[in-house]
Amino acid sequence: MSTTTATRAISHERASMRDKLQDWLPRLVLAPSFAVILLFVYGFILWTIYLSFTHSRMMPVYTLTGFDSYMRLFAQPSWWMALKNIAIFGVLYVAICIALGLTLAILLDQKIRGEGVLRPIYLYPMAVSFIVTGTAWKWFLNPGTGLEKTMQDWGWTSFHFDWLVNADMAIYTVVIAGVWQAAGFCMAMFLAGLRGIDGEIMKAAQIDGASTYATYRRIVIPALRPVFLSAFIVLTHMAIKSYDLVIALTGGGPGNATELPSTFMYSYTFTRNQMSVGASSAVIMLMTVAAIIVPYLYSELREKQR
Amino acid sequence: MSLRTKSHPIAGTLAWLASLLMFFPIFWTVLASFKTELGAIATPPELIFRPTLENYTEILSRADYLSFAMNSIVVSFGSTILALVVAVPAAYAMAFYPTKRTRGTLLWMLSTKMLPSVGVLVPIYLFAITTNLLDTRTALVIMYMLMNLPIVIWMLYTFFKEMPKAIIEACLIDGASQWQTMTLVLLPLVLPGIASTALLNVILSWNEAFWSLNLTAHDAAPLTAFIASFSAPQGLFWAKLSAASTMAIAPILVFGWFSQRQLVRGLTFGAVK
Repeated sequence: MSTTTATRAISHERASMRDKLQDWLPRLVLAPSFAVILLFVYGFILWTIYLSFTHSRMMPVYTLTGFDSYMRLFAQPSWWMALKNIAIFGVLYVAICIALGLTLAILLDQKIRGEGVLRPIYLYPMAVSFIVTGTAWKWFLNPGTGLEKTMQDWGWTSFHFDWLVNADMAIYTVVIAGVWQAAGFCMAMFLAGLRGIDGEIMKAAQIDGASTYATYRRIVIPALRPVFLSAFIVLTHMAIKSYDLVIALTGGGPGNATELPSTFMYSYTFTRNQMSVGASSAVIMLMTVAAIIVPYLYSELREKQR
Repeated sequence: MSLRTKSHPIAGTLAWLASLLMFFPIFWTVLASFKTELGAIATPPELIFRPTLENYTEILSRADYLSFAMNSIVVSFGSTILALVVAVPAAYAMAFYPTKRTRGTLLWMLSTKMLPSVGVLVPIYLFAITTNLLDTRTALVIMYMLMNLPIVIWMLYTFFKEMPKAIIEACLIDGASQWQTMTLVLLPLVLPGIASTALLNVILSWNEAFWSLNLTAHDAAPLTAFIASFSAPQGLFWAKLSAASTMAIAPILVFGWFSQRQLVRGLTFGAVK
Protein backbone atom coordinates (compact mmCIF):
# COMPACT_ATOMS: atom_id res chain seq x y z
CA MET A 1 0.00 0.00 0.00
CA SER A 2 2.65 2.45 1.06
CA THR A 3 4.90 1.48 -1.85
CA THR A 4 2.14 2.30 -4.30
CA THR A 5 1.72 5.70 -2.69
CA ALA A 6 5.46 6.23 -2.97
CA THR A 7 5.57 5.26 -6.63
CA ARG A 8 2.57 7.40 -7.19
CA ALA A 9 4.33 10.28 -5.49
CA ILE A 10 7.43 9.76 -7.59
CA SER A 11 5.50 9.48 -10.79
CA HIS A 12 3.54 12.50 -9.74
CA GLU A 13 6.77 14.40 -9.23
CA ARG A 14 8.03 13.26 -12.59
CA ALA A 15 4.75 14.29 -14.13
CA SER A 16 4.96 17.72 -12.60
CA MET A 17 8.52 18.08 -13.92
CA ARG A 18 7.22 17.13 -17.30
CA ASP A 19 4.33 19.51 -16.89
CA LYS A 20 6.71 22.30 -16.10
CA LEU A 21 8.79 21.51 -19.15
CA GLN A 22 5.62 21.35 -21.19
CA ASP A 23 4.69 24.72 -19.84
CA TRP A 24 8.01 26.24 -20.65
CA LEU A 25 8.77 24.55 -23.93
CA PRO A 26 6.26 26.54 -25.99
CA ARG A 27 7.63 29.78 -24.65
CA LEU A 28 11.17 28.58 -25.15
CA VAL A 29 10.71 27.77 -28.83
CA LEU A 30 8.87 31.00 -29.43
CA ALA A 31 11.62 33.03 -27.78
CA PRO A 32 14.10 33.16 -30.70
CA SER A 33 11.54 34.51 -33.15
CA PHE A 34 10.31 36.97 -30.58
CA ALA A 35 13.80 38.16 -29.67
CA VAL A 36 14.94 38.41 -33.27
CA ILE A 37 11.94 40.51 -34.30
CA LEU A 38 12.23 42.66 -31.20
CA LEU A 39 15.91 43.37 -31.81
CA PHE A 40 15.98 43.72 -35.58
CA VAL A 41 12.77 45.66 -35.93
CA TYR A 42 12.23 47.67 -32.78
CA GLY A 43 15.86 47.87 -31.68
CA PHE A 44 16.96 49.05 -35.09
CA ILE A 45 14.06 51.47 -35.41
CA LEU A 46 15.18 53.06 -32.14
CA TRP A 47 18.69 53.25 -33.59
CA THR A 48 17.32 55.01 -36.67
CA ILE A 49 15.37 57.42 -34.47
CA TYR A 50 18.51 58.15 -32.47
CA LEU A 51 20.53 58.79 -35.64
CA SER A 52 17.86 61.19 -36.87
CA PHE A 53 18.66 63.44 -33.91
CA THR A 54 22.37 63.63 -34.73
CA HIS A 55 24.54 65.18 -37.42
CA SER A 56 25.66 61.86 -38.93
CA ARG A 57 26.95 62.21 -42.45
CA MET A 58 28.86 59.38 -44.08
CA MET A 59 29.44 57.54 -40.82
CA PRO A 60 27.28 57.70 -37.72
CA VAL A 61 28.07 60.12 -34.91
CA TYR A 62 26.26 59.88 -31.64
CA THR A 63 26.16 63.46 -30.39
CA LEU A 64 22.57 64.61 -30.12
CA THR A 65 21.73 67.80 -31.97
CA GLY A 66 17.98 67.99 -31.53
CA PHE A 67 15.63 68.48 -34.44
CA ASP A 68 18.33 69.88 -36.75
CA SER A 69 18.17 67.15 -39.36
CA TYR A 70 14.37 67.36 -39.45
CA MET A 71 14.68 71.08 -40.17
CA ARG A 72 17.18 70.34 -42.90
CA LEU A 73 14.94 67.59 -44.27
CA PHE A 74 11.96 69.90 -44.62
CA ALA A 75 14.15 72.57 -46.17
CA GLN A 76 14.95 70.20 -49.07
CA PRO A 77 12.89 70.87 -52.21
CA SER A 78 13.44 67.25 -53.25
CA TRP A 79 11.83 66.00 -50.01
CA TRP A 80 8.78 68.10 -50.77
CA MET A 81 8.87 66.65 -54.27
CA ALA A 82 8.93 63.15 -52.76
CA LEU A 83 5.98 64.01 -50.51
CA LYS A 84 4.01 65.45 -53.40
CA ASN A 85 4.77 62.38 -55.49
CA ILE A 86 3.78 59.89 -52.81
CA ALA A 87 0.52 61.78 -52.38
CA ILE A 88 -0.26 61.62 -56.13
CA PHE A 89 1.01 58.07 -56.47
CA GLY A 90 -0.59 56.78 -53.28
CA VAL A 91 -4.07 58.16 -53.94
CA LEU A 92 -4.22 57.12 -57.60
CA TYR A 93 -2.58 53.74 -57.02
CA VAL A 94 -4.91 52.74 -54.19
CA ALA A 95 -8.07 54.12 -55.84
CA ILE A 96 -7.45 52.68 -59.31
CA CYS A 97 -6.29 49.32 -57.99
CA ILE A 98 -9.41 48.95 -55.87
CA ALA A 99 -11.71 50.01 -58.72
CA LEU A 100 -10.02 47.74 -61.26
CA GLY A 101 -9.61 44.90 -58.80
CA LEU A 102 -13.30 44.95 -57.95
CA THR A 103 -14.32 45.15 -61.62
CA LEU A 104 -12.09 42.25 -62.58
CA ALA A 105 -13.32 40.20 -59.64
CA ILE A 106 -16.95 40.76 -60.63
CA LEU A 107 -16.10 39.80 -64.23
CA LEU A 108 -14.31 36.68 -63.10
CA ASP A 109 -17.19 35.76 -60.84
CA GLN A 110 -19.58 35.38 -63.81
CA LYS A 111 -18.69 31.70 -64.24
CA ILE A 112 -16.49 32.46 -67.19
CA ARG A 113 -14.50 29.96 -69.19
CA GLY A 114 -10.91 29.36 -68.21
CA GLU A 115 -11.01 31.07 -64.83
CA GLY A 116 -8.29 28.74 -63.60
CA VAL A 117 -5.94 30.08 -66.28
CA LEU A 118 -6.91 33.72 -65.84
CA ARG A 119 -6.31 33.87 -62.09
CA PRO A 120 -2.58 33.08 -62.18
CA ILE A 121 -2.12 35.40 -65.17
CA TYR A 122 -3.65 38.25 -63.19
CA LEU A 123 -1.33 37.45 -60.32
CA TYR A 124 1.86 37.19 -62.37
CA PRO A 125 2.65 40.92 -62.36
CA MET A 126 2.75 40.72 -58.58
CA ALA A 127 4.58 37.40 -58.44
CA VAL A 128 7.37 38.52 -60.73
CA SER A 129 9.85 41.12 -59.57
CA PHE A 130 9.28 44.56 -61.07
CA ILE A 131 13.04 44.87 -61.46
CA VAL A 132 12.59 42.32 -64.25
CA THR A 133 9.30 43.44 -65.80
CA GLY A 134 10.35 47.09 -65.49
CA THR A 135 12.59 46.77 -68.54
CA ALA A 136 9.65 45.92 -70.79
CA TRP A 137 7.79 48.88 -69.34
CA LYS A 138 10.76 51.13 -69.96
CA TRP A 139 10.83 50.01 -73.58
CA PHE A 140 7.08 50.52 -73.94
CA LEU A 141 6.97 53.97 -72.34
CA ASN A 142 10.13 55.34 -73.89
CA PRO A 143 9.14 57.68 -76.75
CA GLY A 144 12.14 56.61 -78.81
CA THR A 145 11.40 52.90 -78.76
CA GLY A 146 7.94 51.99 -77.59
CA LEU A 147 4.37 53.10 -78.06
CA GLU A 148 5.07 56.57 -79.46
CA LYS A 149 7.60 55.38 -82.02
CA THR A 150 5.43 52.45 -83.08
CA MET A 151 2.35 54.62 -83.56
CA GLN A 152 4.36 57.15 -85.56
CA ASP A 153 5.89 54.43 -87.71
CA TRP A 154 2.43 53.12 -88.40
CA GLY A 155 1.50 56.52 -89.79
CA TRP A 156 -0.05 58.35 -86.83
CA THR A 157 2.67 61.00 -86.90
CA SER A 158 1.04 63.40 -84.47
CA PHE A 159 0.85 60.76 -81.74
CA HIS A 160 2.70 61.82 -78.62
CA PHE A 161 3.30 59.83 -75.47
CA ASP A 162 6.39 61.07 -73.72
CA TRP A 163 5.32 60.85 -70.06
CA LEU A 164 8.39 58.86 -69.08
CA VAL A 165 10.74 61.71 -69.99
CA ASN A 166 8.36 64.55 -69.17
CA ALA A 167 9.04 65.83 -65.66
CA ASP A 168 5.40 66.85 -65.10
CA MET A 169 3.97 63.52 -66.21
CA ALA A 170 6.64 60.97 -65.25
CA ILE A 171 5.04 60.15 -61.89
CA TYR A 172 1.94 58.98 -63.75
CA THR A 173 3.99 56.34 -65.56
CA VAL A 174 4.92 55.02 -62.12
CA VAL A 175 1.19 54.95 -61.32
CA ILE A 176 0.44 53.01 -64.52
CA ALA A 177 3.13 50.43 -63.83
CA GLY A 178 2.11 50.19 -60.17
CA VAL A 179 -1.54 49.64 -61.06
CA TRP A 180 -0.56 47.02 -63.62
CA GLN A 181 1.42 45.24 -60.93
CA ALA A 182 -1.18 45.25 -58.16
CA ALA A 183 -4.60 45.27 -59.88
CA GLY A 184 -4.72 41.49 -60.36
CA PHE A 185 -3.61 40.92 -56.82
CA CYS A 186 -6.37 43.24 -55.64
CA MET A 187 -8.76 41.25 -57.84
CA ALA A 188 -7.80 38.09 -55.94
CA MET A 189 -8.71 39.78 -52.65
CA PHE A 190 -12.12 40.87 -53.95
CA LEU A 191 -12.79 37.52 -55.62
CA ALA A 192 -12.22 35.74 -52.32
CA GLY A 193 -14.66 38.19 -50.75
CA LEU A 194 -17.27 37.68 -53.48
CA ARG A 195 -17.06 33.92 -53.11
CA GLY A 196 -17.73 34.32 -49.42
CA ILE A 197 -21.09 36.04 -49.91
CA ASP A 198 -24.13 33.89 -49.28
CA GLY A 199 -25.83 33.24 -52.61
CA GLU A 200 -29.23 32.82 -50.97
CA ILE A 201 -29.40 36.50 -50.08
CA MET A 202 -28.72 37.47 -53.68
CA LYS A 203 -31.29 35.00 -54.99
CA ALA A 204 -33.84 36.38 -52.57
CA ALA A 205 -33.12 39.91 -53.78
CA GLN A 206 -33.56 38.87 -57.40
CA ILE A 207 -36.83 37.11 -56.65
CA ASP A 208 -38.02 40.29 -54.97
CA GLY A 209 -37.36 42.03 -58.28
CA ALA A 210 -34.04 43.73 -57.69
CA SER A 211 -31.99 44.40 -60.85
CA THR A 212 -28.46 43.02 -61.14
CA TYR A 213 -27.09 46.53 -60.69
CA ALA A 214 -29.19 47.08 -57.56
CA THR A 215 -28.15 43.71 -56.16
CA TYR A 216 -24.49 44.58 -56.53
CA ARG A 217 -24.96 48.13 -55.31
CA ARG A 218 -27.09 47.33 -52.25
CA ILE A 219 -26.01 43.84 -51.26
CA VAL A 220 -22.67 42.80 -52.74
CA ILE A 221 -20.66 46.02 -52.31
CA PRO A 222 -21.80 46.57 -48.69
CA ALA A 223 -20.99 42.93 -47.90
CA LEU A 224 -17.47 43.49 -49.22
CA ARG A 225 -16.73 46.24 -46.72
CA PRO A 226 -14.08 44.26 -44.83
CA VAL A 227 -12.34 43.48 -48.13
CA PHE A 228 -12.30 47.17 -49.04
CA LEU A 229 -10.71 47.93 -45.70
CA SER A 230 -8.00 45.30 -45.97
CA ALA A 231 -7.33 46.15 -49.62
CA PHE A 232 -6.94 49.77 -48.57
CA ILE A 233 -4.50 48.90 -45.79
CA VAL A 234 -2.45 46.48 -47.88
CA LEU A 235 -2.23 48.81 -50.88
CA THR A 236 -1.47 51.90 -48.83
CA HIS A 237 1.44 50.28 -47.07
CA MET A 238 2.69 48.94 -50.40
CA ALA A 239 2.50 52.44 -51.86
CA ILE A 240 4.56 53.87 -49.03
CA LYS A 241 7.11 51.06 -49.32
CA SER A 242 7.34 51.36 -53.14
CA TYR A 243 10.94 51.31 -54.12
CA ASP A 244 11.69 48.99 -57.03
CA LEU A 245 8.93 50.54 -59.17
CA VAL A 246 10.80 53.82 -59.29
CA ILE A 247 14.27 52.27 -59.32
CA ALA A 248 13.45 50.06 -62.30
CA LEU A 249 11.34 52.51 -64.26
CA THR A 250 12.72 56.02 -63.87
CA GLY A 251 15.53 55.88 -61.32
CA GLY A 252 13.82 58.88 -59.68
CA GLY A 253 14.15 61.02 -62.80
CA PRO A 254 13.90 62.95 -64.96
CA GLY A 255 15.73 65.17 -62.46
CA ASN A 256 13.99 64.28 -59.25
CA ALA A 257 10.52 64.28 -60.77
CA THR A 258 9.64 60.75 -59.63
CA GLU A 259 11.48 60.71 -56.32
CA LEU A 260 9.50 58.89 -53.63
CA PRO A 261 10.26 59.03 -49.89
CA SER A 262 11.94 55.61 -50.00
CA THR A 263 14.23 56.52 -52.90
CA PHE A 264 14.89 59.91 -51.29
CA MET A 265 15.92 58.14 -48.09
CA TYR A 266 18.28 55.90 -50.00
CA SER A 267 19.93 58.63 -52.02
CA TYR A 268 20.37 60.98 -49.05
CA THR A 269 21.89 58.27 -46.93
CA PHE A 270 24.22 56.65 -49.40
CA THR A 271 24.90 58.88 -52.37
CA ARG A 272 24.72 62.27 -50.68
CA ASN A 273 26.15 61.11 -47.36
CA GLN A 274 23.51 62.83 -45.25
CA MET A 275 22.79 59.90 -42.99
CA SER A 276 20.89 61.86 -40.35
CA VAL A 277 18.64 63.52 -42.93
CA GLY A 278 17.98 60.11 -44.44
CA ALA A 279 17.22 58.74 -40.99
CA SER A 280 14.76 61.52 -40.23
CA SER A 281 12.94 60.88 -43.51
CA ALA A 282 12.75 57.19 -42.53
CA VAL A 283 11.26 58.17 -39.17
CA ILE A 284 8.58 60.23 -40.90
CA MET A 285 7.72 57.25 -43.11
CA LEU A 286 7.61 54.89 -40.15
CA MET A 287 5.24 57.20 -38.33
CA THR A 288 2.97 57.42 -41.37
CA VAL A 289 2.74 53.65 -41.71
CA ALA A 290 2.21 53.25 -37.97
CA ALA A 291 -0.62 55.78 -38.09
CA ILE A 292 -2.35 53.54 -40.63
CA ILE A 293 -1.68 50.07 -39.27
CA VAL A 294 -1.98 50.60 -35.52
CA PRO A 295 -5.72 51.46 -35.58
CA TYR A 296 -6.29 48.63 -38.06
CA LEU A 297 -4.52 46.05 -35.90
CA TYR A 298 -6.27 47.32 -32.83
CA SER A 299 -9.68 46.89 -34.42
CA GLU A 300 -8.69 43.44 -35.76
CA LEU A 301 -7.67 42.34 -32.30
CA ARG A 302 -10.84 43.59 -30.67
CA GLU A 303 -13.09 42.16 -33.33
CA LYS A 304 -11.65 38.65 -33.09
CA GLN A 305 -11.78 38.62 -29.31
CA ARG A 306 -15.44 39.41 -29.23
CA MET B 1 -21.12 34.86 -55.37
CA SER B 2 -22.67 34.98 -58.77
CA LEU B 3 -26.22 34.10 -59.63
CA ARG B 4 -25.25 32.79 -63.01
CA THR B 5 -25.29 29.18 -63.89
CA LYS B 6 -23.97 29.64 -67.41
CA SER B 7 -20.91 31.53 -68.54
CA HIS B 8 -21.31 35.15 -69.47
CA PRO B 9 -19.86 35.81 -72.95
CA ILE B 10 -19.22 39.57 -72.51
CA ALA B 11 -17.66 39.18 -69.08
CA GLY B 12 -15.52 36.36 -70.40
CA THR B 13 -14.27 38.39 -73.35
CA LEU B 14 -13.46 41.39 -71.17
CA ALA B 15 -11.66 39.24 -68.62
CA TRP B 16 -9.57 37.59 -71.32
CA LEU B 17 -8.73 40.97 -72.89
CA ALA B 18 -7.61 42.23 -69.49
CA SER B 19 -5.40 39.19 -69.05
CA LEU B 20 -3.71 39.87 -72.40
CA LEU B 21 -2.95 43.39 -71.24
CA MET B 22 -1.60 42.10 -67.95
CA PHE B 23 0.55 39.45 -69.54
CA PHE B 24 1.88 41.72 -72.27
CA PRO B 25 5.05 43.00 -70.54
CA ILE B 26 6.07 39.48 -69.56
CA PHE B 27 5.22 38.14 -73.02
CA TRP B 28 7.18 40.96 -74.61
CA THR B 29 10.26 40.26 -72.53
CA VAL B 30 10.15 36.57 -73.46
CA LEU B 31 9.62 37.47 -77.12
CA ALA B 32 12.52 39.93 -77.17
CA SER B 33 14.82 37.33 -75.69
CA PHE B 34 14.53 35.30 -78.89
CA LYS B 35 15.27 38.25 -81.18
CA THR B 36 18.58 39.57 -82.39
CA GLU B 37 19.78 42.80 -80.76
CA LEU B 38 18.80 44.76 -83.85
CA GLY B 39 15.46 43.00 -84.11
CA ALA B 40 14.65 43.73 -80.48
CA ILE B 41 14.88 47.49 -80.95
CA ALA B 42 13.37 47.60 -84.44
CA THR B 43 10.27 49.75 -84.88
CA PRO B 44 7.60 48.98 -85.63
CA PRO B 45 8.29 45.95 -83.45
CA GLU B 46 8.67 42.66 -85.26
CA LEU B 47 6.01 40.15 -84.42
CA ILE B 48 7.12 37.59 -86.96
CA PHE B 49 10.81 36.89 -86.89
CA ARG B 50 13.28 34.05 -86.98
CA PRO B 51 13.88 33.12 -83.35
CA THR B 52 17.45 32.83 -82.20
CA LEU B 53 19.02 31.34 -79.11
CA GLU B 54 22.17 33.43 -79.35
CA ASN B 55 21.18 35.66 -76.41
CA TYR B 56 20.79 32.66 -74.15
CA THR B 57 24.04 31.05 -75.18
CA GLU B 58 25.87 34.32 -74.72
CA ILE B 59 24.34 35.05 -71.30
CA LEU B 60 24.97 31.52 -70.11
CA SER B 61 28.58 31.62 -71.25
CA ARG B 62 29.24 34.67 -69.10
CA ALA B 63 30.83 33.55 -65.88
CA ASP B 64 29.27 36.37 -63.88
CA TYR B 65 25.72 35.46 -64.90
CA LEU B 66 26.18 32.04 -63.41
CA SER B 67 27.50 33.49 -60.18
CA PHE B 68 24.48 35.85 -59.94
CA ALA B 69 22.13 32.96 -60.59
CA MET B 70 23.94 30.84 -58.02
CA ASN B 71 23.63 33.65 -55.47
CA SER B 72 19.89 33.85 -56.11
CA ILE B 73 19.47 30.11 -55.65
CA VAL B 74 21.63 29.83 -52.53
CA VAL B 75 20.14 32.90 -50.90
CA SER B 76 16.47 32.13 -51.52
CA PHE B 77 16.70 28.47 -50.54
CA GLY B 78 19.09 29.15 -47.67
CA SER B 79 16.84 31.79 -46.16
CA THR B 80 13.82 29.54 -46.60
CA ILE B 81 15.44 26.68 -44.71
CA LEU B 82 16.62 29.01 -41.97
CA ALA B 83 13.18 30.60 -41.68
CA LEU B 84 11.55 27.19 -41.37
CA VAL B 85 13.99 26.09 -38.68
CA VAL B 86 13.11 29.13 -36.60
CA ALA B 87 9.42 29.31 -37.48
CA VAL B 88 8.21 25.70 -37.26
CA PRO B 89 8.76 25.39 -33.48
CA ALA B 90 7.38 28.87 -32.89
CA ALA B 91 4.24 28.25 -34.92
CA TYR B 92 3.85 24.84 -33.31
CA ALA B 93 4.00 26.35 -29.86
CA MET B 94 1.49 29.05 -30.69
CA ALA B 95 -0.95 26.70 -32.41
CA PHE B 96 -0.97 23.95 -29.81
CA TYR B 97 -0.27 25.84 -26.61
CA PRO B 98 -2.15 29.07 -27.15
CA THR B 99 -2.24 31.63 -24.39
CA LYS B 100 -4.29 34.77 -24.02
CA ARG B 101 -1.56 36.68 -25.76
CA THR B 102 -1.01 34.38 -28.76
CA ARG B 103 -3.23 36.29 -31.15
CA GLY B 104 -1.76 39.58 -30.08
CA THR B 105 1.77 38.23 -30.55
CA LEU B 106 0.94 36.99 -34.04
CA LEU B 107 -0.60 40.27 -35.09
CA TRP B 108 2.36 42.11 -33.62
CA MET B 109 4.76 39.98 -35.63
CA LEU B 110 2.75 40.48 -38.81
CA SER B 111 2.56 44.21 -38.25
CA THR B 112 6.35 44.48 -38.36
CA LYS B 113 6.23 43.19 -41.94
CA MET B 114 4.21 46.23 -42.92
CA LEU B 115 6.80 48.72 -41.73
CA PRO B 116 8.93 50.26 -44.49
CA SER B 117 12.36 48.65 -44.83
CA VAL B 118 14.06 52.04 -45.01
CA GLY B 119 13.21 52.40 -41.31
CA VAL B 120 15.97 49.95 -40.44
CA LEU B 121 18.21 50.40 -43.48
CA VAL B 122 20.93 52.47 -41.84
CA PRO B 123 21.31 50.32 -38.71
CA ILE B 124 21.32 47.11 -40.75
CA TYR B 125 23.90 48.58 -43.07
CA LEU B 126 26.09 49.64 -40.15
CA PHE B 127 25.54 46.26 -38.52
CA ALA B 128 26.62 44.51 -41.71
CA ILE B 129 29.77 46.62 -41.87
CA THR B 130 30.80 45.96 -38.27
CA THR B 131 30.17 42.23 -38.59
CA ASN B 132 31.98 42.10 -41.95
CA LEU B 133 28.87 40.75 -43.61
CA LEU B 134 28.44 43.42 -46.26
CA ASP B 135 28.22 41.89 -49.73
CA THR B 136 28.01 38.32 -48.45
CA ARG B 137 25.37 35.69 -49.06
CA THR B 138 25.14 35.21 -45.31
CA ALA B 139 23.88 38.75 -44.87
CA LEU B 140 21.14 38.24 -47.45
CA VAL B 141 20.17 34.85 -46.03
CA ILE B 142 19.74 36.43 -42.60
CA MET B 143 17.94 39.50 -43.95
CA TYR B 144 15.47 37.50 -46.04
CA MET B 145 14.86 35.17 -43.13
CA LEU B 146 14.05 38.14 -40.90
CA MET B 147 12.00 39.82 -43.59
CA ASN B 148 9.77 36.79 -44.18
CA LEU B 149 9.76 35.30 -40.68
CA PRO B 150 6.46 36.90 -39.58
CA ILE B 151 4.63 35.62 -42.66
CA VAL B 152 6.20 32.16 -42.40
CA ILE B 153 5.27 31.84 -38.73
CA TRP B 154 1.78 33.06 -39.37
CA MET B 155 1.15 30.77 -42.35
CA LEU B 156 2.51 27.74 -40.52
CA TYR B 157 0.37 28.69 -37.55
CA THR B 158 -2.78 28.59 -39.67
CA PHE B 159 -1.79 25.17 -41.03
CA PHE B 160 -1.02 23.78 -37.59
CA LYS B 161 -4.23 25.22 -36.29
CA GLU B 162 -6.21 23.09 -38.74
CA MET B 163 -4.76 19.88 -37.30
CA PRO B 164 -7.16 18.08 -34.98
CA LYS B 165 -6.00 18.36 -31.39
CA ALA B 166 -7.29 14.88 -30.59
CA ILE B 167 -4.43 13.33 -32.55
CA ILE B 168 -1.83 14.92 -30.33
CA GLU B 169 -3.65 13.99 -27.17
CA ALA B 170 -3.94 10.40 -28.38
CA CYS B 171 -0.20 10.26 -29.04
CA LEU B 172 0.67 11.71 -25.68
CA ILE B 173 -1.65 9.32 -23.87
CA ASP B 174 -0.10 6.42 -25.74
CA GLY B 175 3.21 7.46 -24.26
CA ALA B 176 4.86 9.30 -27.12
CA SER B 177 7.06 12.22 -26.16
CA GLN B 178 6.47 15.74 -27.36
CA TRP B 179 9.34 15.38 -29.77
CA GLN B 180 8.05 12.08 -31.16
CA THR B 181 4.55 13.49 -31.54
CA MET B 182 5.89 16.45 -33.40
CA THR B 183 8.31 14.69 -35.74
CA LEU B 184 6.56 11.38 -36.36
CA VAL B 185 2.90 12.31 -36.36
CA LEU B 186 2.41 16.00 -36.96
CA LEU B 187 5.20 16.75 -39.37
CA PRO B 188 3.97 14.35 -42.07
CA LEU B 189 0.49 15.79 -41.67
CA VAL B 190 1.54 19.39 -42.06
CA LEU B 191 4.18 18.75 -44.70
CA PRO B 192 2.00 20.09 -47.55
CA GLY B 193 1.48 23.28 -45.54
CA ILE B 194 5.18 23.60 -44.86
CA ALA B 195 5.97 23.01 -48.53
CA SER B 196 3.64 25.73 -49.75
CA THR B 197 4.93 28.15 -47.12
CA ALA B 198 8.46 27.36 -48.26
CA LEU B 199 7.48 27.98 -51.86
CA LEU B 200 6.05 31.39 -51.00
CA ASN B 201 9.21 32.22 -49.12
CA VAL B 202 11.38 31.22 -52.08
CA ILE B 203 9.33 33.43 -54.42
CA LEU B 204 9.48 36.43 -52.10
CA SER B 205 13.22 36.03 -51.57
CA TRP B 206 13.89 35.45 -55.26
CA ASN B 207 12.13 38.72 -56.15
CA GLU B 208 13.51 40.80 -53.34
CA ALA B 209 15.22 43.93 -54.58
CA PHE B 210 15.57 46.42 -51.75
CA TRP B 211 18.05 44.58 -49.56
CA SER B 212 19.89 42.92 -52.39
CA LEU B 213 20.51 46.31 -54.03
CA ASN B 214 21.56 47.93 -50.79
CA LEU B 215 23.60 45.22 -49.11
CA THR B 216 25.45 43.63 -52.00
CA ALA B 217 27.92 44.85 -54.58
CA HIS B 218 29.48 42.17 -56.70
CA ASP B 219 30.25 39.05 -54.70
CA ALA B 220 26.82 38.27 -53.33
CA ALA B 221 24.56 40.10 -55.78
CA PRO B 222 21.58 37.99 -56.90
CA LEU B 223 19.81 38.15 -60.26
CA THR B 224 17.61 41.11 -59.31
CA ALA B 225 20.71 43.22 -58.68
CA PHE B 226 22.28 41.97 -61.90
CA ILE B 227 19.24 42.93 -63.97
CA ALA B 228 18.88 46.28 -62.22
CA SER B 229 22.50 47.07 -63.08
CA PHE B 230 21.71 46.91 -66.80
CA SER B 231 20.57 50.49 -67.10
CA ALA B 232 20.29 50.71 -70.85
CA PRO B 233 16.69 51.51 -71.79
CA GLN B 234 17.44 51.85 -75.48
CA GLY B 235 20.91 50.44 -75.38
CA LEU B 236 22.31 47.64 -77.41
CA PHE B 237 21.77 44.85 -74.94
CA TRP B 238 18.03 44.73 -74.86
CA ALA B 239 17.72 41.24 -76.25
CA LYS B 240 20.38 39.89 -73.89
CA LEU B 241 18.79 41.60 -70.93
CA SER B 242 15.49 40.03 -71.95
CA ALA B 243 17.11 36.62 -72.08
CA ALA B 244 18.57 37.10 -68.61
CA SER B 245 15.18 38.35 -67.39
CA THR B 246 13.33 35.43 -68.91
CA MET B 247 15.61 32.98 -67.17
CA ALA B 248 15.14 34.87 -63.91
CA ILE B 249 11.33 34.83 -64.09
CA ALA B 250 10.82 31.35 -65.58
CA PRO B 251 10.97 29.57 -62.20
CA ILE B 252 8.57 32.13 -60.71
CA LEU B 253 6.07 31.64 -63.52
CA VAL B 254 6.06 27.92 -62.70
CA PHE B 255 6.10 28.27 -58.90
CA GLY B 256 3.56 31.09 -59.03
CA TRP B 257 1.08 28.89 -60.85
CA PHE B 258 1.11 26.41 -57.99
CA SER B 259 1.13 28.81 -55.10
CA GLN B 260 -1.40 31.48 -56.08
CA ARG B 261 -3.38 31.05 -52.91
CA GLN B 262 -0.34 31.24 -50.67
CA LEU B 263 0.88 34.29 -52.54
CA VAL B 264 -2.37 36.17 -51.99
CA ARG B 265 -2.60 34.94 -48.43
CA GLY B 266 0.95 35.91 -47.59
CA LEU B 267 0.86 39.29 -49.26
CA THR B 268 -2.41 40.31 -47.64
CA PHE B 269 -1.29 39.29 -44.15
CA GLY B 270 -4.12 36.85 -43.79
CA ALA B 271 -6.87 39.18 -44.90
CA VAL B 272 -7.67 36.60 -47.57
CA LYS B 273 -7.96 33.03 -46.46
